[in-house]
Amino acid sequence: MTDNRVERFIESAKRVGATVEKTENLEEAVKYIADKAKGTTLVPVTPLVIRYGLKALLQNAGVEVLNKQFRDGGQFPGAGVTFSNFAMADTGTVVLESTDENIRLATTLPERHFIIVDPATILVDNLAAAAPMNALHEGNAPKFIAYITGPSRTADIERVLTIGCHGPRELYILLVENISSDLMEN
Amino acid sequence: MATDMTYKQSVDIAIGNPKLSKALHLFGDAYLIARENAFRGLNFEEMRTELAAIKDEVRVRRKELLADFIKNAEAAGSKVFIAKDTKEANEYVIRLAKEKKATLIAKSKSMVSEEAHLNKALAEHGIRAAETDLGEWIIQLAGQRPSHMVMPAIHMFKEEVSELFSKEAGKHLPAEIKALVDHARERLRKEYFNADIGLTGANFLIAETGGIGLVTNEGNARLCATLPKVHVVFAGIHKLVRNIEDAIKITQLLPRNATGQLLTSYVTWIRGGVSADGGQKEQHIVLIDGGREALYESKACQDALRCIQCGACANVCPVYQTVGGHVFGSIYISAIGIILTAFYEGLDKAKEITRACIGCRSCVAVCPAKIDLEEIILHLRNEVTKIYGMGAIKNVAFKAVMKNRSLFHSMVRAASKLQRPVTEKNADDPGRRIIRHLPLHFMSRDYTEWRNLPAIAEKPFRDQFDSIVQKVDKPICRVGFFVGCGADFVYPEVGVSLTKVLNSFNVEAVFPKTQNCCGIPALYAGDTETGEFLAKQNVEAFTEAQVDYILCICPTCTMAVKRDFVNRLADQPQWAAKAVALSLKTMDASAFLENVLGASAKMRAVRSVKEITYHDSCHLKRGSNVWTEPRALLESSGHRIAEMKNSDRCCGFGGTYSFLSHPQISKQITRDKVETIQATGVKTVATDCPGCMIMLKGAVGKADPTIRCVHTMELLAETLEQK
Ligand code: SF4
Ligand code: SF4
Repeated sequence: MTDNRVERFIESAKRVGATVEKTENLEEAVKYIADKAKGTTLVPVTPLVIRYGLKALLQNAGVEVLNKQFRDGGQFPGAGVTFSNFAMADTGTVVLESTDENIRLATTLPERHFIIVDPATILVDNLAAAAPMNALHEGNAPKFIAYITGPSRTADIERVLTIGCHGPRELYILLVENISSDLMEN
Repeated sequence: MATDMTYKQSVDIAIGNPKLSKALHLFGDAYLIARENAFRGLNFEEMRTELAAIKDEVRVRRKELLADFIKNAEAAGSKVFIAKDTKEANEYVIRLAKEKKATLIAKSKSMVSEEAHLNKALAEHGIRAAETDLGEWIIQLAGQRPSHMVMPAIHMFKEEVSELFSKEAGKHLPAEIKALVDHARERLRKEYFNADIGLTGANFLIAETGGIGLVTNEGNARLCATLPKVHVVFAGIHKLVRNIEDAIKITQLLPRNATGQLLTSYVTWIRGGVSADGGQKEQHIVLIDGGREALYESKACQDALRCIQCGACANVCPVYQTVGGHVFGSIYISAIGIILTAFYEGLDKAKEITRACIGCRSCVAVCPAKIDLEEIILHLRNEVTKIYGMGAIKNVAFKAVMKNRSLFHSMVRAASKLQRPVTEKNADDPGRRIIRHLPLHFMSRDYTEWRNLPAIAEKPFRDQFDSIVQKVDKPICRVGFFVGCGADFVYPEVGVSLTKVLNSFNVEAVFPKTQNCCGIPALYAGDTETGEFLAKQNVEAFTEAQVDYILCICPTCTMAVKRDFVNRLADQPQWAAKAVALSLKTMDASAFLENVLGASAKMRAVRSVKEITYHDSCHLKRGSNVWTEPRALLESSGHRIAEMKNSDRCCGFGGTYSFLSHPQISKQITRDKVETIQATGVKTVATDCPGCMIMLKGAVGKADPTIRCVHTMELLAETLEQK
């Protein structure tokens, strides 16, 4: 891409404390996750998870996968793994359509969140997201869309930046090419 | 003094606690740097102009947009309730909770719920509200209210937090920030799981989609909106925007301006009742008027509803930094807090804080919604005065004296004689006397121990002007000189200097004798009637003079002639046109020299380099956007400027503010300024405002008599004389 938005995305995401890894393919990403994920790992079932058999891939790599009844996975599950819809280069933000409750639980409760992003879905900036955001809001069905920019943080005590308040303490963004360039699916 | 004891005591207590003020200063400094970085490469001016336009259109179309929002939210399964006041809003939530047999509500941050005292109302019905935002939880445990809109517990220190958490947990928790945050993470997680209802605020309500948006960092709002089976959105009606694009534009400004972040960790867009625990969530949206309609309808104040609650107006406010949000505010704090308090809680509640603003316009400069906060505050102060009066001292001074030009002027002359027995030689400025104790009819005692006060000049500028020989030959233009009280009666030498400087560029100065005080002191004190009277007097004087330009050497006077005369006389056609004509010709002397005459380019010959530092007067920089001009003039006339830290931070003067209404706050703000001047190590501080000179000469003089404080025009005249 001419506007080096992938590089800009990586830089912006790192600046806010996310870990960003370019991986060759999904297998390599899975290996990376298996290496870092500890404890119960929430993997919500989504079209891309089914298409790529992500649950089996993770299980085969030794990850302790839970993919239903997340509310029983404890109040502090170890990890959550999801794909994403798209991302934005200017702020290092990943966007995840999270209307399904399991996606929300897998991205809010765990200590670590691993999110797989296809670099083809990185938009140049936040304004460019208006079109896909409008498309996601077509019709009038209930919707929950999450913008995630780095790990959870607070500065509420003495204005000192502290990572890991109520959301994941660690955010891993894994860039994997040719996953899906469709901004509407995850 | 008009202030009641409890308020005055709260000011004294705040000032007696320098730890808080120090923390707020450090925060203010760090904030400015973070903010600057966050806006790098972006055009803040353009962005905020656009935001203001968006919000203004929402104001005009609010009924239609609200109807759209309700229709679309309902189509997605939400229930929307419009509450005319916070009481109705609370009742709705209580009713809902009872219907659901709910005993616990997990809350993320909602300022409106503070406004509604929702937690207390719930508790009265046996329903517990668990605040989950870290700062809000700390405040809840302490039984206090937020002292900042973005960082509610900014006034607390880790030791206090550790004490609160330890008490709640029944075990000792160390005063270590990371450990305290971890404790909150663990402790509050239970609340989301156990709560029957999750309650959040909303940063925007999107008419086109029927969805809401939440801009947060900690992640608690997402949990509140996810785990409990019922989601209540508790928000003010003014959070409406037209569409997603508008909302995105808000997210581009809000985090950058609030905390210097490009975006918060989370922006969450929710529409309708999403899935929950195998079923579908119930979503109730409670939209509260609570005074907002009245604010929308107030022509003078309506811009305040453009506010996106970034908190920046507090971060930069010298009064906030000195006394904190608990004193300088109510539920909402600082500049915007004054206005919202007046409308949401009543003018009576806002009466003291409208007077606590020093008028420095720092808030106006950083507001991402382009709200002229200072002007609105001034308007409210006038309302307060209309209803509650303004206290005996000011009444006498402004009404009886100011209106009568010759009485005022002769009284000042008399004061110059009266003060003689009490003045003493000033080491910094031989020949100039300073007052130890003030003429009684002007100021009260006791405020001189921390600064020298200037003596009234023996011969005001108005009595000197005729004897100045102007060396001009076929002048290129004639300028009317609006001298202003400070230069007229205290520093007439500044006026003499300006005349010399103008003459050296072959410009003739004209001094209309019937000019009077610009009226700002009266106006700031809340006396509109006198303000209007003085505007007319001056408009007449300068219209008759038929000059090419009108120059001021006091930035507050510049603002008065350029902006306030026009506003004050707008409803009177026979005056309005004249005021506008004068406004167009009026500017600050530095701006005239640089922008009209191109003076710095013409002075380039000067060699000798003197080191000085420069203090930006609030009203010059933020009132007239003039700050490069004096620097260019000074540098081209042989001065090297060693910039002080925060050169545009208020010096604490604020006219009668520092003498009558809030000398204690003023003193602290001035002390900061003196310290930054001293830190440069330079022995001359230049400024373009006689008001700042009164403050700086007085306070710097006490702290270090070897530091000289001068008006830019004086330095220019000195250089030209040497040539
Ligand atoms: S004008 Fe200055 S003192 Fe008044 S509220 Fe704004 S920043 Fe504070
Ligand atoms: S008034 Fe302006 S600066 Fe103050 S909180 Fe609102 S938007 Fe921010």
